[in-house]
Amino acid sequence: MGDQSGSRNGPQQKYVSGAQNAWDMFSDELSQKHITTGSGDLNDILGGGIHCKEVTEIGGVPGVGKTQLGIQLAINVQIPVECGGLGGKAVYIDTEGSFMVERVYQIAEGCIRDILEHFPHSHEKSSSVQKQLQPERFLADIYYFRICSYTEQIAVINYMEKFLREHKDVRIVIIDSVTFHFRQDFEDLALRTRVLSGLSLKLMKIAKTYNLAVVLLNQVTTKFTEGSFQLTLALGDSWSHSCTNRLILHWNGNERYAHLDKSPSLPVASAPYAVTGKGIRDAVSSNHKRARVT
Amino acid sequence: MRPPAPKVPSAASSSSHSQREPRPENPLLLLPSSRFTKLSLGCPLLDRLLCGGLPAASVTEIAGESASGKTQLCLQLALLAPLSPLSASSLFLHSDLPFPLHRLRRLAPKSRPDILDHVLVAAAHSPTDLLSLLARAQRLLANPGRSPHRLPIRLILLDSIASLFRGDFDASPADLRRRSALFFQISAKLKELAYRHQCVVVVTNQVVDVVEGDAGNTVAWSSGRRLSPALGIAWANCVNTRLFLTREVEGNGTSGSARRWMKVAFAPHLPEQSCEFVIRRDGVFGVEPER
Repeated sequence: MGDQSGSRNGPQQKYVSGAQNAWDMFSDELSQKHITTGSGDLNDILGGGIHCKEVTEIGGVPGVGKTQLGIQLAINVQIPVECGGLGGKAVYIDTEGSFMVERVYQIAEGCIRDILEHFPHSHEKSSSVQKQLQPERFLADIYYFRICSYTEQIAVINYMEKFLREHKDVRIVIIDSVTFHFRQDFEDLALRTRVLSGLSLKLMKIAKTYNLAVVLLNQVTTKFTEGSFQLTLALGDSWSHSCTNRLILHWNGNERYAHLDKSPSLPVASAPYAVTGKGIRDAVSSNHKRARVT
Repeated sequence: MRPPAPKVPSAASSSSHSQREPRPENPLLLLPSSRFTKLSLGCPLLDRLLCGGLPAASVTEIAGESASGKTQLCLQLALLAPLSPLSASSLFLHSDLPFPLHRLRRLAPKSRPDILDHVLVAAAHSPTDLLSLLARAQRLLANPGRSPHRLPIRLILLDSIASLFRGDFDASPADLRRRSALFFQISAKLKELAYRHQCVVVVTNQVVDVVEGDAGNTVAWSSGRRLSPALGIAWANCVNTRLFLTREVEGNGTSGSARRWMKVAFAPHLPEQSCEFVIRRDGVFGVEPER
């Protein structure tokens, strides 16, 4: 028991004894600034997970799992520091009404089950961790904004700086989806472009200022180029250039894949993933997979 | 710890809403008690597929071929809403003429002749018609002063969305953009009504044979053909949940019997599963899987 406990508290002991070198500290600090997606394969192509201080766009066709991933990130950002997470809170800006609380509860339950499986003694640790590992707590630590128009979306994003100044424990802001309200009939297309550019600058600023991840889910549309139809991100020309990273979720037959399409520091890569009853997981996991009905 | 009752947002006007500082909600307080915030389809098997029924504050699409049961389901829902824990009137917007009043009457339980008082019917023949009706619905839901005996409207049915776009649009890029913009206007308005008034919103859609330019849209086999819901991937982005009604014909042509399936094509809260169903005189009902 003593040895087990000792090995589990290894990192803490290193910190306490001052044995860790600067490089290890730097690596640990970097790793703490990632939010795990729930899928190891997906984390691998993302360099550990979704990065803080960056704006990441995630696009895909309806039903491929964009909202599932958004919810998963809002849950995973809350994984306690003692269990390898950031211990932060989430802001979820819902423009489409797809944030279904019963599903958030399921994903929170799945996350907690995995924590208890990988950290079997989490429940024996401090009472604060024990209190944290409840689905109700995970739900309560998501600040949920439901907006019904683009003017409300502008208002919420303008308000974010003040909100984050007053809620310093937020480590992720998720917008699902970022373009829905801008796809209506916008009479002045130049104005739309200016508004979207302004929003993207504000989002990049809050990501860096408050050391948090900004995740923008986006819809997919078809574009006719070079004699054939291509899937492309909605409002791509006026929006996507502002994002640090771009991840495309797509179907390959009956399998879900994520393609890292754009990143300043990582190579272009693809990874399979699955949407399970517990949330986003690796495709090869033994969990009941949501096979696509054909 | 039992969560408090769901907080229903006040029906504030959009102008005063935008003037107020945005306020986050606590998802814990939005946890649905499925007894009150889902509309049962009147069949435990179909309800199981949908984890309790159709969710409020959300737009559910039912897509399928003609005679696949879409309208029948809508009529069934309109009659179930007043009797369910939702205890609601419905607003039935139809784009095909005439409204199937005879079928509605035949479905209505004889013991409750007053049930038809809780079905409000309006016709929409074009997208602008529909947007105008939805604006009137917004005012009606915000100020339900008249008709004190009518239950509050918490079910909105639109049968069908594709019919609205049959005419008035050609294949030019400008018209395709205009049409697509209308999809998102209609969807935003339906979703706002659903959220602000905690309504169940159901939209039916027709299907078309799969064509090359429709990558990314839902595809299913039905009646031996590969079909997609009409209006392409743009409209697919406008609904929260998509249910696909399919038909599998056994035997040769018309002599074979058809089996019908309701499939969850996508939904934020449901696995992609399906349930066999039949259409009877008294409604649409699920079929227990064969052992």
